[in-house]
Amino acid sequence: MNAGQQPLVEFHDVTVAYGRRPVLWNIDLAIAEPCLFGVIGPNGAGKSTLLKAALGLVPVVGGFVRFGGLPLRQVRGRVGYVPQRESVDWDFPVNVMDVVLMGTYGRLGWLRWPGRRERAVAAECLERVGLADLAHRQIGRLSGGQQQRVFLARALAQEADIYLLDEPMAGVDVRSQEQIFGVLAALRDAGRLVIVVHHDLRTAAEWFDQVALIDRRLVAAGPTAAVLTTDNLQKTYAGEIELLEQLGQAVADRGRTE
Amino acid sequence: MTLATFGQSALIAMAGLGLTHNTLVVLGGVAAVGCGAGVVGSLTLLRKRPLVGDAAAHATLVGVAGAFLATGRRDLPTLLAGAAVSAVAGLLVLVLLRRFTRTREDAATAIVIGVSFGLGLALLGGITARGMPGGGGLERFLLGQTAALTARDAALLAAISLLAIVVVMAVLKELLLVAFDPAFAAATGWPVGLLDAGLMVLIAVMVVIGLPAAGAVLVTALVVIPPVAARQWTERVGVMLVLAGLFGLVAAVGGVAVSSLRSGLATGPLVVLVAAAICLASVVIAPRRGLLARRLRSRFDVGGDRS
Repeated sequence: MNAGQQPLVEFHDVTVAYGRRPVLWNIDLAIAEPCLFGVIGPNGAGKSTLLKAALGLVPVVGGFVRFGGLPLRQVRGRVGYVPQRESVDWDFPVNVMDVVLMGTYGRLGWLRWPGRRERAVAAECLERVGLADLAHRQIGRLSGGQQQRVFLARALAQEADIYLLDEPMAGVDVRSQEQIFGVLAALRDAGRLVIVVHHDLRTAAEWFDQVALIDRRLVAAGPTAAVLTTDNLQKTYAGEIELLEQLGQAVADRGRTE
Repeated sequence: MTLATFGQSALIAMAGLGLTHNTLVVLGGVAAVGCGAGVVGSLTLLRKRPLVGDAAAHATLVGVAGAFLATGRRDLPTLLAGAAVSAVAGLLVLVLLRRFTRTREDAATAIVIGVSFGLGLALLGGITARGMPGGGGLERFLLGQTAALTARDAALLAAISLLAIVVVMAVLKELLLVAFDPAFAAATGWPVGLLDAGLMVLIAVMVVIGLPAAGAVLVTALVVIPPVAARQWTERVGVMLVLAGLFGLVAAVGGVAVSSLRSGLATGPLVVLVAAAICLASVVIAPRRGLLARRLRSRFDVGGDRS
C-alpha cells in the first residue's frame, strides 16, 4: 500500500468544524510505519472527530487526509473502523455472527450476500477476539466488553491494512481490555497500522508504540516515552487539571465545614 | 390437484359464501398491500424513522385533490399517481427543513403532517363545496374505502406492492447495515444518503397504495403496527420481516373483510383495529420480550438472564 515513500496516514493541516464551531485546528500528523498508535487527550478534545475526518464522516473545512499518498475513496477497502460502542442500538434483531459479517460487506458489494468464505472469515475473527462460542447470541445480551469485541471482530473481518478504533476500551472490563490490546498488538506485529482513540494514560504508556496528544490542536506526537512527559501532559490537560484542582478544593472545603 | 384447479375450486367455494370474483381479487390486492406495508415498514422502524410514513401519508391528500383538479379524472391510477407525487414532495420538504433550518426531525415531521394535511383537506373541501362533477367520493381517501375498488385496480396495487418487496429484498443487506450502524456503513463506502432516500421513496409508495384500504389518516398504522408486533416475537431480522408481512396481510384482509359485512363502512378504522389487536396480543404474550414472559422471568429467574 505504501506507494513510494508516502506515510501510511497523513493529516495535512486538517481543520474540522461543526457548524461554525471549530473542533480541530490545523492538525499536521504523519504516521510512517506500522505501529500501535494512541490518540490521547481530554474529553471534547476532538479525538473521535480526528478519526471521523479521516473516514470522511465529518466535513473537513481545511487541509486533507491521505493514506499512502492516496485519498480515502481509493483505499476504502484497506481501512477498518471500530466506532464507539454507544453509537448503535444494541437492541437490534441480529446476532453476533450477523454483525461480524457486516465487515465483509465492503468487499462483497451490492446484491451479493455473505457466503461460505465470508462465514469462515467471520468465525475466525470471532475466534481471535475470544467470542467463538457466542456467535449465535443476540447482540443485546452481551456485556459491554463483549459488545466491544464484536465490533473489533467486525473490523478484523474487513481484512484491512489500517485500523481506526474509537474508544475501544470505554466501559470495558479489565479482562476484555487485555484481550483487545492483545489482538491489536498482534495486528501491529502482522504489519498493520492500528490507530486507537484512548483516554487512560496508564494503559497508554504500557501499550502504545507512539502517541499523539490532542487538545483541539496537536500538542505533541511521536514515540510514547518521548511524548508522555509531564510538560506535554500539563499542556494537553490544562483545562481538566484546573477543573480537578477546583473540585479538590471544593471537597477539602466541605471537609473543613463538616 | 394443480394450483389452477385448486384456485378454481376455492373460488367456487368462496362464491358459495357470497363472495364475488371481484371481492376476492380486491381482497388479494389488499393482502399484497398489507404484506408489503409490513415489510417496508419494518425497515423504517429499524432505521428509527417510523414517523416518516406518517408524513408521507398525510401529504397524499394534496396529490389526490390536485390530480383530480388537474385532470378531471377520478380513476384510481390517476389519483394515486398524484398522491405519490405529493407524498414524495412532502418527504423532500421534511428533509430540507431538517437540513437547512436546524429543525429537529420530530418537529419537522409534525410540520409536514399538519401543513400538508390541512392543505389537502382545504382542497378536498373546495372540490366538494363547488359540487364539481365527479368530485364526490374523493373523501374515501381520508379513511379508506375498498367498496369501489375494481379488480383491475386491486391487481395494480398488488403488483406495485410485490415490486416494493422485491426491491427491499434486493438491497436488504445494505438497508440493514445503514439501519444498524450508519457511521460504519458510511465509513465502508456505502451511499447512506442514497439508501435512506430510497427507503423514503419506498415508504411513500407503500402508504400511497395503502390509501384505498386504510386512508391517509390511518395508513401509517399499517406500516408501523405490524412491524412493532413482529419485533416482539423474534431476535432475527428475517423472521421479523416475514412476521411483519404476515401481520400486515392479516390486518388488511381482516379489516376489509369485516367492513364489507356492512356496505359503506370505512375500511381504515377496522384495518387499524385488527392490527392493534395483533400488536396488543404480541406485546403481552410473545416469548422473551412479551410482558408476561418478562414478568415470569423476573419472578422465577432472579439474577439469571440479564436481558
